[in-house]
Amino acid sequence: MIEKFEYIVRRLLLSVGVLIGLTLIVFVLTRVIPSNPASLYLGPRARPAEIERVNKQLGLDKPLPAQYLDYVGDVVRGDWGDSISSKQPVLDEITSRLPATMELVMVAMLLAVIVGTPLGVLSAQLHGKLPDVVVRIISLVGVSMPAFYLGLLLQLLLFHELGLFFLTRRFDGTLRFTHPIDELTGFYLFDTAVTGNWVAFKDVAGHLVLPALTLAAYPIGLVARMTRATMLEVMEQNYIRTARAYGISERFILYNYALRNAIVPTLTVIGLTLAYLLTGAFYVEYIFNWGGLGTFTTTAFLNLDYPAIMGMTLFGAGGYVIINLVVDLAQAWLDPRIRLK
Amino acid sequence: MTLRKLLILVLVLTVLIIPVGAQAQDTTVLRVASTASVTTWDPNLSFSTEALYMANIYEPLLWINAPGAAEPFTPALATSWEKSEDGLTWTFHLREGVTFHDGEALTSTAVKRSIERTQAVGGASFIWLPLASIDAPDDLTVVFNLTYPAPLDLIASSLYGAWIISPKALDAVEADETYFEQGVDAGTGPYMLSDYTADVEVVLGRFENYWGGWQDGQFENVLINIVPDAVTQQQLLEGGEVDLALRLPPASYDSFASNPDYAVEVNSTFFNYVGFLNTTRPPLDNKLVRQAISYAIPYDQIIEVGAEGLGTQSRGPVPTGVYPYSEDVPQYTQNLDMARDLLAQAGFEGGGFELRLTYAAENTIEEAFAPIIADALAEIGITVNIEPMLFNQQWEEAKADPTQAQDIFLVLYWPTYSDAGSDNLWSLFRSSDAPFFNLSYYNNPDYDALIDEANVLAGTDRDAAQVLYTQAMQMLVDDAPALYLMDVGNWYAVPTYLEGFEYNPNYAFATFFYPIHLAE
Repeated sequence: MIEKFEYIVRRLLLSVGVLIGLTLIVFVLTRVIPSNPASLYLGPRARPAEIERVNKQLGLDKPLPAQYLDYVGDVVRGDWGDSISSKQPVLDEITSRLPATMELVMVAMLLAVIVGTPLGVLSAQLHGKLPDVVVRIISLVGVSMPAFYLGLLLQLLLFHELGLFFLTRRFDGTLRFTHPIDELTGFYLFDTAVTGNWVAFKDVAGHLVLPALTLAAYPIGLVARMTRATMLEVMEQNYIRTARAYGISERFILYNYALRNAIVPTLTVIGLTLAYLLTGAFYVEYIFNWGGLGTFTTTAFLNLDYPAIMGMTLFGAGGYVIINLVVDLAQAWLDPRIRLK
Repeated sequence: MTLRKLLILVLVLTVLIIPVGAQAQDTTVLRVASTASVTTWDPNLSFSTEALYMANIYEPLLWINAPGAAEPFTPALATSWEKSEDGLTWTFHLREGVTFHDGEALTSTAVKRSIERTQAVGGASFIWLPLASIDAPDDLTVVFNLTYPAPLDLIASSLYGAWIISPKALDAVEADETYFEQGVDAGTGPYMLSDYTADVEVVLGRFENYWGGWQDGQFENVLINIVPDAVTQQQLLEGGEVDLALRLPPASYDSFASNPDYAVEVNSTFFNYVGFLNTTRPPLDNKLVRQAISYAIPYDQIIEVGAEGLGTQSRGPVPTGVYPYSEDVPQYTQNLDMARDLLAQAGFEGGGFELRLTYAAENTIEEAFAPIIADALAEIGITVNIEPMLFNQQWEEAKADPTQAQDIFLVLYWPTYSDAGSDNLWSLFRSSDAPFFNLSYYNNPDYDALIDEANVLAGTDRDAAQVLYTQAMQMLVDDAPALYLMDVGNWYAVPTYLEGFEYNPNYAFATFFYPIHLAE
C-alpha cells in the first residue's frame, strides 16, 4: 500500500515537471512567431496608440520570463487567462465545447466497432471470395483516404447531390423555436433522449451521421482488417476444428468461439485509435462547423491566440498524463506480476 | 446479437434519421449563413467582424447612404443636425421617445457617455481624434466641440465606435469590464441578441418597441449560422438550409445569375487591392523602376482571375464611390515595351533583379492573382518570389524594419469610416516616424503637406478639399509608390421570395435584417 502511494506521488511529481516543460516550450513557440496579440484583441485595423494601451492592459509590455511566471501563477490559482479573440475565460471556452467533441468521438468509436467488426468477420468467413475483396477495398480506402477529403466528398455526394443528412452544425438552429433542446450535459443525443424530445433527437442523430462517418472511416478500416487477420488465425486453431467435428453450426463457431478469441487484439487497436479520433476531430469539426474543441483550437492557432493555445496544451497534456497513470495503475491491479517502480 | 440483427438495426436507425425535406418558409425565422465570428459583444470595443450583429442591435446618430442616393444621410437616433460656420461645433437633435432594449430612455447623456467610453477604451477610438468635448445642454440636444474642423457626420455614421448604448449598461460595464461578453446587449436597434453559441450561431430576436415600428412580413427572429467556408455556404443556400448566404464563392456567380430563383445584383464596394512597393532600397527606390512595374501589370487579367471579372481597375488608392474618389486620376495600362524602356532608362536593361512579394495566406483572391504579377514581371526580366504568410505575420514583418522588409506587399484595404481622404490617403501614404499602414514607406513632404491641408479643409469645404486630394492622388499615380490593382465588386444571390435586401458599401461588413421581408 505504502509502495503504491509512493509510486503515485512520484508519478504526479514527474507529471508536473512534464507540464512545466511543455507549457514553457509552447509559450516560447507562440511568442517567437511574429504576431501582434494586441491587434487581435482590438480588431485588425487598430492604430498604434490603441495597441500600446492594450499591450499594457494585457501585460504584453513586460519581459517574456515575467509574462510566463505571471501565466503559471494564474494557472496554479485556477485562472487560465482570457482568450484574446473572444475575451472569454479559456477554461470556460474549453469546458463548454468539450461535450460537442466527446459526443462526436464516442459516436465515431461506436461506429468503428459496430461496423468494423462484422465487416472483418464477414471478410474472414468468406475469405478469398467477392465480399472479402469488397471489404478489403473498403477498409483500405478507409485507412488511406485523408478524412478531410472524405468529409468533403460525403458532403458533396450525400448532401448536395442526394439531399440526405446535414452539412453543418450539431442540430438545426430553428429547432430552438419549436423543440428547444434542454441542455443537461451538452451531449445532445443523451439530453434529447432523457427529456423525450424525439424530434430533436432525430435531428441531432441526423446531424451526427456525416461527421461521425468521416471520423470513423479510418478506425472502421483498421478494425475490419485487424478482425479479419486475427479471425483467420483463430479459425486455423485445433479447437475450432474440434468444434466443427462436433457438428456445431458454423455461425455459432464464428461468433461464440472464434470472435471471442479474436477480439482481444482488436480491442487494443480500438483503444489506440482514441488518440487518432481526438486529433482527427479537429479537422472534421472544421469541415462540419461542429463548434467543438477542434474548431476552437484551429482558430486559436490561426489567430495565434496564445492563452487559448496554452489552455488547450495544458488540457490535452493533463488529460494524457492522467489517463496514462490510470492505465498503469489498472494494469498493476489486474496483473499482480507487474510491479510498480 | 447476430450479424443479421445488427445490420437490420443499423438500417432501421439510418432510415429513421434521414431528414424529411426542408421546412416551409414562414416569417418567424430568417436563416442566414455568414462568416462573421464574434470577437467581442462590447459595442465600444467592437472593431471587427461582429459589426454584422452590432449594426442590427445598435444604432448610431445617423446612417450614411449608399453613393447615388438622393440624400447623403438617413437620420437614426438624431433627427437633425447642424454645424457652426467655422466647422468646430456640431449640434445633434435627438429623436423623441426612443427606448433602449433594457427600457431606458434615449437622452443626450447616453450619447455623451457612449462616445466618451469609445474614446477611452474603443478599438476605433481614433475616429474621434478631432473631438475635444461633448456637451448635453438639454435632454435631447448634444453638442460636439472639435479641435479642428472635421467631417463629424461621416465619423458619427461609422460602423465602428459610434454606437449609442444604454446608460444602465454603461454603469454595469464600468463595474465589470467583461459585462457585455456573456452576450448582453443594450442598444436601440430593431433586433436584440437572444442567444449566442461561439463559432456556431447568433440568434437575434425582434425588439417589439423599436421606434421604427414593425410591419407584416418582417422577420421575428434572425438565425445566423457562422460558416467560414464559402463553398459550404453555397451548398447550404442551394440545399434550402438557409435563406441568405452572405459569402458565396466568386466562381458560383454564373450559376446563380442564370438561376431564375435568385436575384443577383453586382455592386461596387469600398474595398481595393493595393501592392505596396518598398521605396527604401534599390531598385524600388527608383521612380522609373516603379513606373515600369506599374506598366507591366495586366490589370484586366487580375480582375478576371481574382474576381471573375467583377471588379474595376483602381484609380489610385481611393476606391470607386467613396469620398474623395476622382475620375481625374489616371491609370496605368499594360504596356510591356514602355516598361522595358523605363527599366533601361533606370539602368536596369532587361531587368535582372529579384523581388520578394508577400501576401495574406488567408486571402484566396490574393493567392489567385499573385502569380499573375510574377508572370508579368518575368516578361520584363524581373524575378518575383511569392511568399504567403498569415496577415498578422506579414504585417508584423513589414512594420519591423523597412530596409529588411518585403519588396511588394499585397493588401486588401478599406476605409474605417466613409472618408478615404483621412483614411486611405493619409494612412497608406503619409510619412510617419514608425510605419503602420504606409508599407511603401513613402516619404514625400509635398504629398504630406497637400494631405494635411486637405484633411482640415474637408471639415468645412469638402469641394475645395477634393481639389487638393485629386492633386495628391495624381502625385501618387505618377510617383507609383504602390500598384493600384483593383476595386472589388461584390454580389449577393437573394432568393426571389425575399424582398428588401439592400447593400450599402459604407457598411460592407453589415447586412441590415430589418428591411428584409417576404415577397407578397
